[in-house]
Amino acid sequence: MMESLDALVLDASKHAVAGSSPELAAMPVTEIAPEDRILAFDATSVWRYRGLLRVLILRDLKVLYRQTALGACWAIAQPLFTVLIFTIIFGHFAKMPTDGAPYALFAGSAIILWTYFAEAVRRSSTGLVAEAELIRKIYFPRLVIPLATVVSPMVDFAIALGVMLALMVWYGVMPDWHLAFAIPTLAVTAMLALGVSLWLGPINVRFRDVKHTLPFVIQIWMYASPIVYASSIVPGSVRWLYALNPMVGLIEAFRFAILGGTPPDAFALAVSVTAASLLLFTGLIFFQRMERSFADVI
Amino acid sequence: MSMAISVQDIGKQYWRAPRAAHQNSLREALSQSMRGLMSRRTEARRSNEGFWALKDVNFGIRHGENVGIIGLNGAGKSTLLKLISRIAAPTTGSIRLVGRVGALLEVGTGFHRELTGRENIFLYGSILGMGRQEIAAKFDAIVEFSEIGDFIDMPVKRYSSGMYVRLAFSVAAHLEPDILLLDEVLAVGDYAFQKKCIDFARRLQSKGSTILLVSHNMFSIKTMCQRVIYIKNGRVAFDGPTDEGLRHYEQDSYLADASWFRPESGHHPVKIREVTIADESGAPKTLFRHGERMRIRALYTASEPVAEPHVLFSITRSDELLCSNFSTLTDRAKLAPLSGDGEIELLTPPLTLNADTYTVSVVVRQRGFERLLAAQVGGRFHVEHPVFAPDVFGVFHQPGTWTSDAAPHR
Repeated sequence: MMESLDALVLDASKHAVAGSSPELAAMPVTEIAPEDRILAFDATSVWRYRGLLRVLILRDLKVLYRQTALGACWAIAQPLFTVLIFTIIFGHFAKMPTDGAPYALFAGSAIILWTYFAEAVRRSSTGLVAEAELIRKIYFPRLVIPLATVVSPMVDFAIALGVMLALMVWYGVMPDWHLAFAIPTLAVTAMLALGVSLWLGPINVRFRDVKHTLPFVIQIWMYASPIVYASSIVPGSVRWLYALNPMVGLIEAFRFAILGGTPPDAFALAVSVTAASLLLFTGLIFFQRMERSFADVI
Repeated sequence: MSMAISVQDIGKQYWRAPRAAHQNSLREALSQSMRGLMSRRTEARRSNEGFWALKDVNFGIRHGENVGIIGLNGAGKSTLLKLISRIAAPTTGSIRLVGRVGALLEVGTGFHRELTGRENIFLYGSILGMGRQEIAAKFDAIVEFSEIGDFIDMPVKRYSSGMYVRLAFSVAAHLEPDILLLDEVLAVGDYAFQKKCIDFARRLQSKGSTILLVSHNMFSIKTMCQRVIYIKNGRVAFDGPTDEGLRHYEQDSYLADASWFRPESGHHPVKIREVTIADESGAPKTLFRHGERMRIRALYTASEPVAEPHVLFSITRSDELLCSNFSTLTDRAKLAPLSGDGEIELLTPPLTLNADTYTVSVVVRQRGFERLLAAQVGGRFHVEHPVFAPDVFGVFHQPGTWTSDAAPHR
């Protein structure tokens, strides 16, 4: 056996000699060093892994409703029942003022945007920990994970929007050109969700407290946003304070896009865009600073 | 010749486990940092001094070279591979890689259980850094290599563990990187598939790929690498020809803890001081003829008394295949309680193992509790026989009794 081992070793070295010299010039070069720059954002590596981003989004979609009896019907049932319950409680019992619109449409238009936001933040903030195995064993730009989880709830959002439009036809309310505002509103909401998650995700890697805190923070945040009520019921003296919640401007803008009516408050909208940009920018820096230690602490 | 991998002054510092355990909730971390603010900052830093998993590591690997990384448990081999594959960041030093890097630290991480084999090929391929077109082009080859066949459209949660591993390795194998980093992945799958994997690595090598292999399996190191880097306590202890490196490693691994053994809180209640291998008469030797009996003796020190010891002497072949266990439990042998210094001896029946190199390991358990007290690698011995080699005759050979029907056409 020893002879045969030696023969194998000899064989292996023969292979090495036979190996043709590769075209070195064409080979990519990777430099690894401890990071000391503050702004180390590497967009090219994320771009190179865009295929992974796409596949992760598709994976989330495929897996979400697999092995459920109703399948994608859940994406329709969930917003529909939420709207139904809110309409009964806040519309019929509490008789919330809606600035004229039927309550179901008033609440529904806000709920679909809010559901997207809440779901994106929830999945995206806990996504790194959910992919702990991957992070421990395989290299890829970690930013791909929060990016994918901010995009994938958009599909549920699109389905819910379809339900919403059907509901409008039912109530005889036709959407008009204002609907075009829905796209930039969704984009800013996604930016905001990503910005929040870029902060919360790395913190959750280190401290799982985030995961336990998040559900009720989202709950409180929901009631601090004009979803079941109109922002016009907030007293004028504290309206500016209320508008510091970046979701206020976004929800008003989205409701305006779908139902028309009162245009959103310019100050609230400015707060939303500023907050989203600021959180996204600082979040990217924070995330890139933290991502190098993910594999060590996750 | 230019370098595929250049590692310069690499160091990796980890924080000690107690600190991590302490700060695992936000409240504790906050109170700790408040305390840190009050006391002098430098002082707080110094008390949190971590330990260096790797320190001052330097080496270069040329294009087309195959290098094995060896070392005992916790020496820092896997940490090194994590740094080179960019999973973790080094604390000091720098690494330069020239070429496309494929790292396989574990086969099948990234697979999703709910997805089918087909979907997982695309998922895992993308995770490893392949493009969609590239995966599509290699799809048939991947399926064929994996021997999965018609199961490809079944969710992988219904796969056997062997199928799972085969599919995962097949995807990774078709990455065709310039630099391939492997961590123990060849230790999976059955013998035939392992051989296929080694052949594949050979083919990559013949195309000029560079392979860095971390393994406990000295057989795969020996077959694949001309050079080894031996890591000891986070530093490079040896860098050079495989045979010489393995000799250093074998010297150091004598009486070391078995690779799978994790002593409870680092405490060894029983320590094996020496393992001697001798022939039937008691004369020490390491080269045996096929069919000889063997006396294996383990000298121990028990720092706490063991009332009912249960001892195993395991024989492992050079390719890490467990060949035989001699067990006091199955042999219904009642050993005297272990305490202080003493020795345990086993006289084996005639060993019918085929020609190869074998390692003896000693495992001590407490009967009843089945608490693991010690698991150490003992000595090595060789069996020689001109004909009975493992590649033809398998693990052992014994003569049988044959009969044949005298009149087949009745």
